[in-house]
Amino acid sequence: MSNRPANIGSTLLRPDALLKVKGEARFSTDFYEKGHVWAGVKRAGRPHAILKNIDYSEAIKLPGVIAVLTHKDVGGTNRQGVIKKDQPVLVEDRIRHCGDAVAIVLSDTRRSMEEAIRAIKLEVEPLPAVTDPRLSLKDDAALVHEKNEDRNILLGGAITVGKGRAAEAECDEIIEATFETQRQEHAYLETENGWARLDDQGRLEIVCSTQTPFRDRSEIAEALGLDLKNVRIIVPYVGGAFGGKDGITVQTLLALSAMHAAGRPVKMWWSREESFIASVKRHPSILRYRLGAKRDGTLHFLDVDITMDTGPYDHLGGVVLALAMEHSGGPYRIPNGVVDGRCVYTNNPISGAFRGFGVTQVSSGIERAMDLLAVKIGMDPLELRLKNALRAGDRNFVGKTLTTSTGITECLETLASHPLWTQRSFWKRNAGILKKRGVGISAIVHGSGYGPIVPDYANAKIELTGEGKFRVYCGVVDMGQGNSTANVQIVSSILNQPANDIELVLPDTERTLPSGSASASRCTYTFGNALISAAKIMKERLCRKAADLMMKKDPQEFSTTPITIRHLPTGSEIPLKVIANMMDSSERIVTAYFRAPVAEDLVTGDYNLRLHGMPHNLFSYAANLACVELDEITGKVTVENYATASDCGNVLNPQLYEQQIQGGAIQGLGLALYEDFVAVEGHVTTKDFSTYLTPTSMDAPDIESIAMGIYETTGPFGSKGIGEIATNGPLPAIANAIFDATGHMLEKSPITPESVLTALTEISKE
Amino acid sequence: MSHALVPTKLEELWAYIAENPEAMLCAGGTDLLVKIRSRSVTPDCLICLERLDDLKGVRFEAGEIIIGALTTHRELLHDPIVQRDLSILASAVQNLGSPPIRNMGTLGGNIVTASPAGDTLAPLYILKARLKIRSKESSRSVPIESFILGPGKVDLRAGEILSEIAINQDSRFTVNHFEKVGRRNALACSVVSMAALMNIAEDNTISEIRLAWGSVGPTIMRFGDVERLLEGRQLTVRGIEDAIRKVQQSVSPIADTRASADYRRDVAGRLLLRLLSYASSR
Ligand SMILES: Cc1cc2nc3c(=O)[nH]c(=O)nc-3n(C[C@H](O)[C@H](O)[C@H](O)COP(=O)(O)OP(=O)(O)OC[C@H]3O[C@@H](n4cnc5c(N)ncnc54)[C@H](O)[C@@H]3O)c2cc1C
Repeated sequence: MSNRPANIGSTLLRPDALLKVKGEARFSTDFYEKGHVWAGVKRAGRPHAILKNIDYSEAIKLPGVIAVLTHKDVGGTNRQGVIKKDQPVLVEDRIRHCGDAVAIVLSDTRRSMEEAIRAIKLEVEPLPAVTDPRLSLKDDAALVHEKNEDRNILLGGAITVGKGRAAEAECDEIIEATFETQRQEHAYLETENGWARLDDQGRLEIVCSTQTPFRDRSEIAEALGLDLKNVRIIVPYVGGAFGGKDGITVQTLLALSAMHAAGRPVKMWWSREESFIASVKRHPSILRYRLGAKRDGTLHFLDVDITMDTGPYDHLGGVVLALAMEHSGGPYRIPNGVVDGRCVYTNNPISGAFRGFGVTQVSSGIERAMDLLAVKIGMDPLELRLKNALRAGDRNFVGKTLTTSTGITECLETLASHPLWTQRSFWKRNAGILKKRGVGISAIVHGSGYGPIVPDYANAKIELTGEGKFRVYCGVVDMGQGNSTANVQIVSSILNQPANDIELVLPDTERTLPSGSASASRCTYTFGNALISAAKIMKERLCRKAADLMMKKDPQEFSTTPITIRHLPTGSEIPLKVIANMMDSSERIVTAYFRAPVAEDLVTGDYNLRLHGMPHNLFSYAANLACVELDEITGKVTVENYATASDCGNVLNPQLYEQQIQGGAIQGLGLALYEDFVAVEGHVTTKDFSTYLTPTSMDAPDIESIAMGIYETTGPFGSKGIGEIATNGPLPAIANAIFDATGHMLEKSPITPESVLTALTEISKE
Repeated sequence: MSHALVPTKLEELWAYIAENPEAMLCAGGTDLLVKIRSRSVTPDCLICLERLDDLKGVRFEAGEIIIGALTTHRELLHDPIVQRDLSILASAVQNLGSPPIRNMGTLGGNIVTASPAGDTLAPLYILKARLKIRSKESSRSVPIESFILGPGKVDLRAGEILSEIAINQDSRFTVNHFEKVGRRNALACSVVSMAALMNIAEDNTISEIRLAWGSVGPTIMRFGDVERLLEGRQLTVRGIEDAIRKVQQSVSPIADTRASADYRRDVAGRLLLRLLSYASSR
């Protein structure tokens, strides 16, 4: 950190960087106490069954075992979920996926806990498992939730734009393709875990790794039948989340455990294998695209059909589908068409929030369709994109008028003049022996925030401490992305205080204020806007105090300077500490509220789609370029270079910006080439990191991240969301590069060496 | 597991083995600890070999290169003898696991694990490595291909350890080639691998060749008929075409989450194409 005031737009080292490098930062995994209890979960182990009996007679007898808890011990609704509460905390009578939690063991040691879990016997009557999302729609498919209104459909909807399907006949060229994207695991370093205690007043304190402390609190209270006031959630440093901790993981199980631990603190910490089986994943999708254009390349018609597999529970599956539908037309003007989508229940692992959130899937669809169309029309793929790129004032595919900054044209123009693009023919010609090279691009749009109905708000709180320093109460979790650093920058620069005099209070439902989830590319946008207001109020209040003290009329004559307030005309100063001592503790606290503006457009009459977020109001944009080399012997794909030009507003901190882009791009590279979370008949076969492959540092290309720096007038210091967009670019850019090299568009991800080799051998046959 | 013993001298080791006949030996632990975690083995006692300095290092002895079984992969990579005379082994070790795995894992452990995907094995087969097996009472020496019996199965009897790997450099090769096809560039279990030692005559004919494949059968696979077919052939696509087909017919790969059997079969043959890059352009 720094002993001078931070500037917006320049790199400030993360305040947590050194702490993390030295191992001093405290994560929820670091909470231990002598005599604490271990709590562990018995998982169902089968994808679909009636649960007839849980026999824990042997388990409870094992030495060290304190209790075995089942659904009978749950006092409340026993249901959790964000929009649709369809997931039991502990299974009552119906097992819906292998990772379902059936019982909890409380024990003195981890080892006896594990032994007891193995000793629990489940008596079940197997049911046919629904594991193919296409088959789950058939009339004879088994039902995952018997009482669900629309058989196995969690959420479905359709939007017709312009003339709808009638416009198809007006196109000169139409391409059609069906893409399939796979299930992806977040693979954060820190698996799901927490620490909980019930005090003698009946108050539960839970320390855990989550993106959503305030929402968790309500979910826990409701599921277990507790008074909200008696549940406190504290979130220390978080070791990665990417959407996988957007919602309940251990929290309710842990709370229930603490209620049966006789006041002893309880620890629950899922192993990697358990995390793999029980946690949510990116939704696998099937995307049918029909894209039509006029001869000159003007897009005219799009027909998209989207099927997403949400597994047995909503988690945030409906919202993911709504985002997919909204973004299915990419950053283009497409006047006519239809988007038809459904998110279906299956007995596969649960799908839920994952950085990119539905947009990742459809971006890979529209962007591959664009390259197919470009070839069909005989047009340069970048030119085709530029010709149809959205501008402010245009309507996007679902009919939302763009009223905020819209920089996709600038992003594409940046790539058009980039040496990797202008010199691509030369580069491709220089492929080595038995190698082929290709260059591909993708253009991405990504909405941020919660959509028109769910309020996207934040409450910032700043306190002047007795020492004259400032304490910022962060209501939004920083799971490693660095938004708390941006918070320091905002307060430090507005109040002109040394950055290392700004103390952060990490999310805690009793100390910080409700500010929504750490998700939806909204953290810095929403919380940052609230924080700017709070910092300005604080500054004004302090100047007023100083004016009173110095008997000056006009607080405008004062400014905060490092650790003091200065009267500018005379240069005399009062230390902040002195001012602080003269203020009552209530006066030393400022709070401010911000609620993000929402779209007023009525793009659909379907309230359910609107509730699930359709449409957004603020969008980030990016254009990406991948240079790939293919090995003709093995089909191996090497991404030699990757560049991205993005419009994420004005950049507050260049280093954090670059980290977000690079991290997102590498996660997208994983989706494109390596990661595949496989379940066969509902049983996970990629059980750990030996078969679930994420890219390593040896697989990551050089990634150039160019910021357009376009000022977004509604954003904090002109910024907008950056957390997710970079994840969406690699899959389509890489697939398009392979298309460029081989003439074959690969429709399934991950793109395996095997599929590339097939494409390569097909060209040698042709 | 209840305890671990850490002998520093061989006599101590023999005594521990005698006292704890059920104990398992642990070298770097990079294979064993994975199995213990997944409970596929549940030893009560481990005898850790990591401090047996007598079983570490690389040296020349009576015209042979002797490698201690406890030599780590990292030590192999940095060893001047390995770098100069066993470059094929060095290239296999270079891409084995990741730096931490190479720091801990040993050559002996890679051999005794006897995985068809063990990266050092194909080079050791064509280097005609002999293994020295010792127990308190006895010592014997066996060629690596008779020591490895099947996946995870080796000819090691109760009380025996693998102590040394001996390589006799009867012939010298100008081409020392190893290629591992993995699903990523580090921490990748091989999908197919091929090791080749080759001499090429001035006219680009193959004068001598030894080949071995990993991950396409229960153990490392060598095909004498393929080698005989190639010797005397031109190092061109046409010259090796039928050898490629023969390899593809001879391997017996399985399918798993990393690759299909067909892909492994196809690529096992195609890897011979990489040897074309050694042809001189004159
Ligand atoms: C993340 C990861 C990545 C890996 N990547 C690769 C890879 O790319 N390529 C590859 O080939 N392998 C890989 N491995 C496997 C492993 O690292 C190697 O096989 C390594 O060489 C094993 O050596 P070790 O000393 O750790 O064996 P250990 O685990 O200590 O022992 C393995 C087995 O051999 C026995 N043993 C060991 N030494 C002796 C001896 N001297 N005498 C008798 N018995 C003995 C042990 O009892 C045990 O049964 C990887 C492993 C991990 C965990």
